[in-house]
Amino acid sequence: MKQTTLSMDPYNLIITGVGGQGNVLASRLIGNMLSEQGYYITIGESFGAAQRGGAVESHIRVSAQRTYSPQIPKGKAHMVVALEPTEAIRILRDYGNPGVKVLSNMRPVYSMGVICGEQSYPSTEKIKECITASSKASWFVNSTDEALKLGNPIFGNIILIGALAGTNALPLDHKSFEKALLQRMKPDKIDVNLKAFDIGKEMTSA
Amino acid sequence: MESTASNEVVRDVQQNGLCTGCGACVNLCPYFRNHRGKTIRLFECDRTWGRCYAYCPRTEVNLTNLRKKLFQADDLTMELGAFKGLYMTQAGDETVRNAAQHGGTVTALMKLALAEGIIDSAVVAGDNDQQVACPEQVDGPDQVGSYSKSKFILPPTVGKLNEALKGKAEKIGVVAVPCQAQAMAKMRVNPGPSDAGNMSKLKLVVGLFCGWAFDGSKLRELLGKELGNTAITGMDIPPSRHKCMEVSTENGMVCLPMHEIQTCVADGCGYCIDMTCEFSDISVGAARSPEGWDVDKEWNQVIVRSALGQTLMDLARDRGILNFKEVPSGNLEKLQNASMKKKRSCLAYLAEKSGREDDFIFLSSEDPLIRRIRGLE
Amino acid sequence: MTTLNTGRKGEKMLLMGNEAIARGALEAGVNVVTGYPGTPSSEIIDRLSKADRERNLYVEWSVNEKVATEVAAAGSFAGLRSMAVMKMMGVNVASDFLMHLVMTGTRGGLVLVSAEDPGAISSLTEGESRYYSKFLEFPLLEPGGFQEAKDMTKWAFELSEKINNIVMLRTVTRISHGSGNVVLGELPETSPRAHFEFNGTILDEQTGPILTVPGPFAVNLHARQQNKLQAAANLFEDCPFNTYEGPENPELLIITSSVCHLYCIEAVELVDAPDRVGILKLGTTWPLPAKFLKKHMQRTERILIIEEVLPFLEENIQVLACQLGAEFAAKKFHGKGDGTMDKVGELNPTLVAGALSRVLDLAMETVSVDYSENINKQAVDNAPDRMLTFCPGCPHRASFWSIKRVLELNNQQGFVCGDIGCYGMGMLPCGFETVKTVHSMGSGTGLASGFGKLGQFGMDQKVLSVCGDSTFFHTVMPALANAIHHRADITLVVLDNSGTAMTGFQPHPGLTIKASGTELPALDIPSICRAMGAKVQVVNPFDVENAEKVLLKTIEDPDGVKVVVMRQICALSPEKKSKKQFEIQVDENVCIGEECGCNRLCTRVFKCPGLVWDGEKKTSKIDAVLCVGCGVCHSICPSGAIQRKEIA
Repeated sequence: MKQTTLSMDPYNLIITGVGGQGNVLASRLIGNMLSEQGYYITIGESFGAAQRGGAVESHIRVSAQRTYSPQIPKGKAHMVVALEPTEAIRILRDYGNPGVKVLSNMRPVYSMGVICGEQSYPSTEKIKECITASSKASWFVNSTDEALKLGNPIFGNIILIGALAGTNALPLDHKSFEKALLQRMKPDKIDVNLKAFDIGKEMTSA
Repeated sequence: MESTASNEVVRDVQQNGLCTGCGACVNLCPYFRNHRGKTIRLFECDRTWGRCYAYCPRTEVNLTNLRKKLFQADDLTMELGAFKGLYMTQAGDETVRNAAQHGGTVTALMKLALAEGIIDSAVVAGDNDQQVACPEQVDGPDQVGSYSKSKFILPPTVGKLNEALKGKAEKIGVVAVPCQAQAMAKMRVNPGPSDAGNMSKLKLVVGLFCGWAFDGSKLRELLGKELGNTAITGMDIPPSRHKCMEVSTENGMVCLPMHEIQTCVADGCGYCIDMTCEFSDISVGAARSPEGWDVDKEWNQVIVRSALGQTLMDLARDRGILNFKEVPSGNLEKLQNASMKKKRSCLAYLAEKSGREDDFIFLSSEDPLIRRIRGLE
Repeated sequence: MTTLNTGRKGEKMLLMGNEAIARGALEAGVNVVTGYPGTPSSEIIDRLSKADRERNLYVEWSVNEKVATEVAAAGSFAGLRSMAVMKMMGVNVASDFLMHLVMTGTRGGLVLVSAEDPGAISSLTEGESRYYSKFLEFPLLEPGGFQEAKDMTKWAFELSEKINNIVMLRTVTRISHGSGNVVLGELPETSPRAHFEFNGTILDEQTGPILTVPGPFAVNLHARQQNKLQAAANLFEDCPFNTYEGPENPELLIITSSVCHLYCIEAVELVDAPDRVGILKLGTTWPLPAKFLKKHMQRTERILIIEEVLPFLEENIQVLACQLGAEFAAKKFHGKGDGTMDKVGELNPTLVAGALSRVLDLAMETVSVDYSENINKQAVDNAPDRMLTFCPGCPHRASFWSIKRVLELNNQQGFVCGDIGCYGMGMLPCGFETVKTVHSMGSGTGLASGFGKLGQFGMDQKVLSVCGDSTFFHTVMPALANAIHHRADITLVVLDNSGTAMTGFQPHPGLTIKASGTELPALDIPSICRAMGAKVQVVNPFDVENAEKVLLKTIEDPDGVKVVVMRQICALSPEKKSKKQFEIQVDENVCIGEECGCNRLCTRVFKCPGLVWDGEKKTSKIDAVLCVGCGVCHSICPSGAIQRKEIA
């Protein structure tokens, strides 16, 4: 049995966002990084047709003991990584607790109701206030903006993985990330993704 | 404040059976369109004020105010609206006459207005459907006249005007039936903010007398049943004891009995208070005289209502564009009586619809004209 | 880089459940793999199609699930290990053939994978196919985790060959689309030679012709089939996938299967009752291993059955308990029957823990009321609901825009019978709510065929059906033949976006590529429809004006079946992704926004996510991250404010 270096076992991580933000890839990469270190990983995902423009959440269970179920019990998340800030709030409703930590990208993806002016989207301040009040610790980053600087908004998810690494919530580092990338990507894509990871890590490293 | 926009047009006019398909709400926005004579709203609109409602001839209107704002006060009559004179005319040009429903006066006047530069563009009934006329915008006298047979189904003419107002034409003339002329009167008197600058482009309205029009889909169904796929080239309803509608087809003339035809009359037409197209500069209808239908069908009766209408009429006489003959004595009275009959039946139908004898839905019971028609003043 | 088809024995990989199943099939030496795409099943074939050369596979996306099963069965009849893969609704399609197949039996191991979707996360129903195993009398296996998904798949082929019949492996979304650690097994070298032996006697399962025959012979075959099922039951008595964990004599015995096993383990932890509850997990859920179950049910008087969705296991176990009645003490059953669990929806650890806390009268730790009330309120106020919508630049939005407009113009309360695909969302505001019926694959056109014959009873509404290009081949063609033959007055709109877009661009007979990417002849949908006798038009939905004109004329033509193929490649397709045709901009000075004459047509009605209403400036604007540059909004803008520039 692996000697655990986890703050909690199982460690319950949720990655949440909107269809098309690269949620699935992010959870697989994190899963691979931790699996490589010998942890039992379970990822629960809902994707497919229902996610056209809808919310997508990945549950990642990390344990040194055994395989956990692909769904985190209600109210038992330890860390929420949000590719979209209001999705963080939505996830906290089901899985939040006073001890939860939140890392959120601040770039909004507007819902249909907001796009057509029927609903209003909360201000950045309001979102931060709401998340801060419902979590033990929180980090707010602009990963999409940084990704656009790298040339494509799709790197936003990689930057967030880096930012998650920077929080030290889980044993994630540059090297294990590189290894996970090599398993999934063509060699010419590695460098820019590593750069995205490092940019993210810088954002949250104390 | 109560909303007066698209939803109210749908609720109060369309669903209430008052819509005539005049086209006043068409081409103002992407929501209202007219297809085969029927005005349809494609998508919901949630505005609380809309030009569609403001211009619709079946939404609240004070006719006295409209009349006063558009015509000289001393020309106004209860029976026929503004009135400067009654004439009996026909187009001088025989080819124009032959192509026309009756005397060809409307075609001749529009050609003249274009030729004289009174207008630089005309919105007239077009014809790209077997039975439903589509309005056309033409900009030269030679283009007028090819669509001058009546189909008894309203083209959404005002919609075409709405489009023309956004275009390059500076002086626009329109051939319109009474509901359409009333819509244009509302537009002129109370244009929406985005139209205020353009409304002066509407120079001339040549009106058509109108008792009713068909509901396009009902007529289509009836004609389809009676005539199959035969192409229809014209229709007329001669005043006769047979009470029939003559339908000219590629295979000759067919007579359809009026009691059948009447089932196809558009619901909205019964609620029209105007037979002689009072909100026009000059209005034209079929002639009636002791000489009988064979002669009359070559002639028109014309009411001149405005100074511009008078100018045009005088020009037509001077240039020999129109032939004139004396109006038989008693014709004016007959016209007044027919017009009053239409006004009274309109009020009666509206009162029936509202269920209250002094509620005329879109016509105000406080309107002095309505009070006079009812004999209250 | 380790892949499914190169990973060596003993290597540990993080695999999606569907990948584990694919690997299990490879480890079994599968040769023929077929299927029809459907969430959550599609990745199994997607992954295997990438291994076809190295592993000597024949992989095909078949035209529908029945044909897929038949193609796979042919592999089995010729002695090859074969697998047919589908989502649960597909089993309904395949069931006609299956009823015959189970009578004749199989030769090379034949496994049917049914990927099911409790909770209908990506499906239109949560109907399940486990009942087929009982009804059609074949074995059912349900993996309870990721490692087991692989191991059980391999074992299913062996089982099929032991009993000479098809075996069904049922997975669910949380396994198929979940991921977990899997230790790989050996990949065998296979050198199969396919040959269909038919010279033996009709009763010789290995060498005779494979026939179903009417009369007493059919009854004989049926008896043989039931013997096979009994043989499977005997094997299940001693099967590594059936396990018990817990105290020797627990107060409560949970009997469970599939992913629910993981929920149960976690639920026992959540209520902290490891000393009171034992968990009996069944990997073989039909036929039931009676002796094995009897042994474990004797541990206690109280039994809680945990499964998704219907009480399949529960009722079969209760029947078994009745049969055993005289041999052991009466049991108190908890589950769906007594209302402890719902008969709808998917489960999770919290729901199972809730059941345990009720059954055992235990407290369950929950988040404080203050916290949950507060976050609930925050979520209601600050996390606007996300209604499903077509993607930015989706051709379906443009197609439904025109369909909606012509139905309104026609003014005869026309409607659209929908079908299965992204375009089913035509029922939602993103499709202008034009779709008024949606059922199974192909049923839109079948329903339309029926509606189109109701004119004699006074029905004067215009009837349209829509289907995708893949659905067209799947089951629309027979419905179309019916409509044409009976002269139904309908218009079929084929929303041809060049692929099975909803499930990830699997090819179909209308395209020139097969699963593995090699060239194949394509069948031309317009030519097929013309040959069948329909009047056919092909339009580009992005040319809104023309599309509308053609559609209007078409639906107002009262003469028989009309087909309009609206052809435009999906915005997410690999060929098209990130290739913008136009650069789009909104001229803020021209945009009239909320004023009369527009009332925000683009953002309020058309609702492409690439366009956003700027509440402060009171104009529309383009979201540069989301816009894919299709240019349709330019065509519909009434004031010419949305401008487009062709990208060279």
